Amino acid sequence: MKEISRRRFLEAACASAGMLVLAGCGGSTGNAPDSSGDDNAGAGEVAGKTVAFIPKVTGNAFFESANDGAQSHSREWGFSVDYIGDATASVSAQVSVINQAVANGVDAICISTVDANGVSDALGKATDAGIVVTTWDSDAKPEDRTLMVSQGTPEILGQMLIDLSIAGLKERGIDAEKDEVGYVWHYSQATVTDQNSWQVAAEKVIKEQYPNWTNVHENYYSNQDAEQAITIGEAILDAYPDIDLIICNDSTALPGQLQAAENKGYDAQRITITGFASPQSIKSYCEHGTIFNWGLWDCAVQGAMGCYVAAYLAAGNKVKVGDTISIPGIGEVAVEPNDSIAEGAVTAEENNGVVLLPERLVFTKENMNDYSF
Amino acid sequence: MGTLKKLLKARSLSSAVFLAALLLAVGAVNPSFLSPSNVSACFNTSVVYTLVAVGMAFTLLVGEIDVSVGANLGLVAAVVGTMLRDGQPLASACLVGILIGVVIGCINAWGVAVMGAPSLIFTLGANGVLRGIVYLYTNGAWVENLPKGFKDFSSVTAVGSLTVYFCAVFVLVLAIHLILTRTRHGRYFAAVGDNAQAATLVGLPTRRIKVLAYVLCGVLSALGGIIFCSRIGFVTPMSGNGYEMKAVAACVLGGISLLGGVGSVIGSAIGAVIMASISYLLVFMGFSSNYDNAITGVILIVIVVVDALLQHRTSKRNRRARLDARVSMGGDIR
Amino acid sequence: MRARLRALLAKGQASWNVMLVSLLVLEFVIFGATNPKFLRPELLFTSLNDSLPVFMISLFVTFVMVTGGIDIQVASLVGLTSITIGVGWQDFSLPIWGAVAAATVLAMACGALSGFLIAYCRVQAMVVTLGGSFLYSGIALLISTLSSTESYQGIGGFPDEFKFIASYRLAGVVPLQFLIYALLLAIAFILLHKTTYGRRVFLSAVNQSAAECSGINTRLVIMSTYVLSALSAALAATVLTAYLGTAKSDLGADLTMNIITVVVLGGTLSTGGRGSIVGTMLASFVMALLRFGLPLCFRISTQHLNIPIGILLVAVIVARSVSAKGLGLTSRLTKLITRRGGADPRGGDSQERGGQRHTREASS
Repeated sequence: MKEISRRRFLEAACASAGMLVLAGCGGSTGNAPDSSGDDNAGAGEVAGKTVAFIPKVTGNAFFESANDGAQSHSREWGFSVDYIGDATASVSAQVSVINQAVANGVDAICISTVDANGVSDALGKATDAGIVVTTWDSDAKPEDRTLMVSQGTPEILGQMLIDLSIAGLKERGIDAEKDEVGYVWHYSQATVTDQNSWQVAAEKVIKEQYPNWTNVHENYYSNQDAEQAITIGEAILDAYPDIDLIICNDSTALPGQLQAAENKGYDAQRITITGFASPQSIKSYCEHGTIFNWGLWDCAVQGAMGCYVAAYLAAGNKVKVGDTISIPGIGEVAVEPNDSIAEGAVTAEENNGVVLLPERLVFTKENMNDYSF
Repeated sequence: MGTLKKLLKARSLSSAVFLAALLLAVGAVNPSFLSPSNVSACFNTSVVYTLVAVGMAFTLLVGEIDVSVGANLGLVAAVVGTMLRDGQPLASACLVGILIGVVIGCINAWGVAVMGAPSLIFTLGANGVLRGIVYLYTNGAWVENLPKGFKDFSSVTAVGSLTVYFCAVFVLVLAIHLILTRTRHGRYFAAVGDNAQAATLVGLPTRRIKVLAYVLCGVLSALGGIIFCSRIGFVTPMSGNGYEMKAVAACVLGGISLLGGVGSVIGSAIGAVIMASISYLLVFMGFSSNYDNAITGVILIVIVVVDALLQHRTSKRNRRARLDARVSMGGDIR
Repeated sequence: MRARLRALLAKGQASWNVMLVSLLVLEFVIFGATNPKFLRPELLFTSLNDSLPVFMISLFVTFVMVTGGIDIQVASLVGLTSITIGVGWQDFSLPIWGAVAAATVLAMACGALSGFLIAYCRVQAMVVTLGGSFLYSGIALLISTLSSTESYQGIGGFPDEFKFIASYRLAGVVPLQFLIYALLLAIAFILLHKTTYGRRVFLSAVNQSAAECSGINTRLVIMSTYVLSALSAALAATVLTAYLGTAKSDLGADLTMNIITVVVLGGTLSTGGRGSIVGTMLASFVMALLRFGLPLCFRISTQHLNIPIGILLVAVIVARSVSAKGLGLTSRLTKLITRRGGADPRGGDSQERGGQRHTREASS
C-alpha cells in the first residue's frame, strides 16, 4: 500500500512537471534573453537601459553607499539600476546572483566580485547572452569584463595606508622614520582578496623603507562582526599595552577597534589607529579625539561611474584605450590599458580597459562633515 | 529531589571549573594575562551573550528551542539605535525595544505552544523573517552616531574593573536562578520540560508556561539588543547573526540539556562567558590568527566531551547506587 | 478507493509529500504565468545548478536528522574538501582524481570523528557539530596556508577532465551535475527506505534501548549517518569546485541554514524517528524554485528573499500542525471525500509532538 501510493506521487509529480516543462519549451524562442526597454531611441543613448548592480555583499555600509550613489545618479541619467546581491560574501551565492541577473534579462552588469576565478564562467555566460559586464572595486579577470572602474592598484592603496599611519604618528610626536614603531593589522578575514592584497603590498613597502617598524603579531581577523571587532580590539590593547599603531583596512574592524579604544579611555595621543571606512561611521570617534585621520574613496561616485560605463557600452558605443568617456555630472574619464592595475595584463582591441578614480580621500576633522556616506 | 538538586549544583560548579581552567591555561601561556583588568575584561565582554543565553535557557528548560534570538537582538538594536540617533529619550526607546521583544516572544509562543509547531522549524522561519525586516527597516544602511553618553555608559565600572552592566546582569541571573529553583512557579518550567504530558496531568498550565518561557526569552534578547547598542556603538543589518548558535553552545556548556528539564541558568551564564571570551583569550595565547577557528572548535569539543563523559560516569554511579539500595531493601528487584 | 485515499491522507508523510507536490505545482503555475521565462529549460537548469550543493547534502543530512541529531558542520566540510583538492593537486602534485579521493577520505574521517563523539560519548549533536564547524573550517584555513597560493586567492587552473563534471550537458540541456544528483537521490532513497540499514537508522531513533536489545548496534548506525553526510559534503564540494573552477577554504560557508531548512521542510522531524528522502527532494526543489522564481517574476531582490521564505516555512509548519490536530484543510477534505460524519483519526501521530525521551533516560 505504501509503495503504491509513493509511486503514484512520483508519477504524478513527474508527469505534471514534465508537462509544464514541455509547455515552456514549446513557448520559448531562442536562447538570448530579450532586452528590456527601448534601446534604439538614438544610437548610443544610455536612457532606458537596465543595469544590474551586484555588490560583494549586501548590508555593508560601503556597498550600500555605492548603491545610493548609483541610484541617485542613474535617475538623472535616465536608466535604471537593479541592486541585487546576497547577504553572505560567498562566491557561489554571487554566481547565482549573476545567473539571476542574466535570467532577468538586464542590459548590463556592474559587479564587485568576491572571487575573480569563481565568477569567471558565470560572467562568460552573461557576455555570451549579450550582456555587457563591467566591474568596480574588486575586479574580475580582465578577459571576462569590458571596463573596470578602479580605485587604485593594491600598491597605491597600501601606500595610502602607510601615509595615513605616518601622518597619525607624526601628529602625536613620533617620527616614523627614526623611532621604534610597534604595529599590527586588524581586518576581516584571511580569505578576502582585496584587503589582503593591500596588506601584502603595504608590508612590502614597510620591509623596504621602514625597518624600524616591528609587526608585533600576525594579523588579527574579526570577520566583519562588530562585537568580535570590539573584543579583539580590546584584547590587542590589553595584550600589547605599548603598541603604537593599529591598521584596520576593513569598514567593520575600524569602528570596532575605535570603540574598543574609547572603552579603555585611549585617544589619538595615546595610540594611532587608522584604516579605511566611511566618514559617517567614524565621524563621532573623530569628534571625540580617538582618531586623527582615515581614508577611503568616493564609493558613491565609483558605483555610479561603473553603472554609467556599463549602460554606455550596452547602448552600443565602443571605446579603445586612450579614448575618453564623458560622464555627465562627473567629468571626463580616460580609458587606460589593463596593465595599469595588473602587471602583465593584456588589453583587448576594443571595449577593454581600466577607468581610474581620479583621487582617493583622506578624512580628518576638517573635511569629514562634507560627505554624506 | 535532593540528589537532583545536588546534581544541578555540581554541574554549574563544573562549568565554573572549566572556565577557571581555561583562564589559568591562558595565564600559563602568557603570564601577563592574569591581571584583574584583563580577567574582568572577559566578564565584561560577555554581557550581551549572557542575556541571550539565559533567554535561550528558558526555552530549553521547557523542552523547546528559540533560534530567532539573534534576529530579535538585531531588530531591537536597530530600532533602539535609530530612535536614539534621532534624539528620542532613552526611556521610550528602551520601552519600545522591550515591547518588540515581547511581541516576538508572543509570536513564537503562538506558533509553538498554541499551534503546536515544532519549535526548531518555527523559530527558524521567524528568524529569517526578522532578518529580512531588519534589512528593510535599516534599508541596508548602518545605524551610526549614537549619543556619546549612551555609549560611554558601557565602560562605567561598578566593582573593581567590572562594569555596571556586568554587575546588573550578574544580579539578574542570580535572581532568575533563585526563582527557578526555589519558588513553586519557577520549578514549573523544568517540570514542563522534563515531561510535558505528566505536567499537564498533574495540573500545571503547560501551555501558559511555554508562552511565558518564550516571552521571557524575547524580553531578554531585547535587553541584550539595547545593551548591544550601548557597548558596540553602531548597528549593522547583520548584527546578532549567529548568536543563537553561540547561545545554544553556552547553554550546553553550562549543563542545560537540549531535551529539556535539566539545567541551571547560572551554568548557561558561565557558558556564555566562555563563548564570549574565546576571541579575547586567543589574542593572549599568541597563536597566529589562522589557528583561531580551529582552537575555538577544539575548546568547544573538549569541554563538551569531558563534561558528557563525567555525566555518564556520575549517572552510572547513581544508577548503581539506586540498584544497590533497592537490592539491600530486601530481595525483590521488581 | 475511498478507503485507500483516506488511509493515504491519514499517513503523516504521504500527506506531507502531497502538500509539497502541490506547492511545487503551484509555483510552476504562478511563476510560469507571471513570466514565461521561468519555464525555459536552460534557465531552470542553470538556476538549479546553483542550488545543487544544497540538494546533494540535504539528502544525507536527512539521515542524520532521522536519528534525532543535527549536522551543522557540513558547510565547513565542503570548504575543507575543496581546499584539500586544490592543495593536493597543485602543491603536492597528486593526480586530480587522487586529490579528490584524498579530500573525500579526509572529510569522511572528520565526519566519523564527530559521529563517534555523538554516538559513543553521548554528547549533544548540535554542540559537537558546532565545534566541528569551527574546527574543520580552521583546519581548512591551515591547509590553505600550506599552499604556495595565498589563502585569499583561490587555487585555479584545474584540468579539463575535472571541469568536465560541471561543463558537460546531456543533450545540451541537462547538466551532468544534475545526473549525479539523480544518482545520489536514488542511492539515498534505496538506502533509507528499502534496505535493512535504513530501517535500523529509523529504529535507532525511535527507541534506542529497544533497538539495542534487538541486537542493532545503534551507536555504529548513528555514527555512520555522520560519515554519510560528510561524504555527501565531499561530493558536493567536488562538484562545486569544478563548477566554479576555483578551490577555496571558505567555499560553502553559507549553506548550513539552507540545508537545515530544506530537510525540515521535507517533513523530517527534528526530534528524529521520521523522515523521507522524497520529502527532502521535493522540499529542495520547492526552495530552489522559490529562490529563482521570486526575483524573476516579482522583482524581489535576492537580499530580500528571507521574508517570503521564512513566511513560507512558518505557514507550512503551522498548517501541518493544525491539520495534525484535525482542524485543517486536509482532514476536512478527508471527511468530505469519505463522507463520514464522525471525526477522523488524527492525521498526524502522537509520536510527532512528544519527542523522543529515550536518550535522556539512558543518561539520567
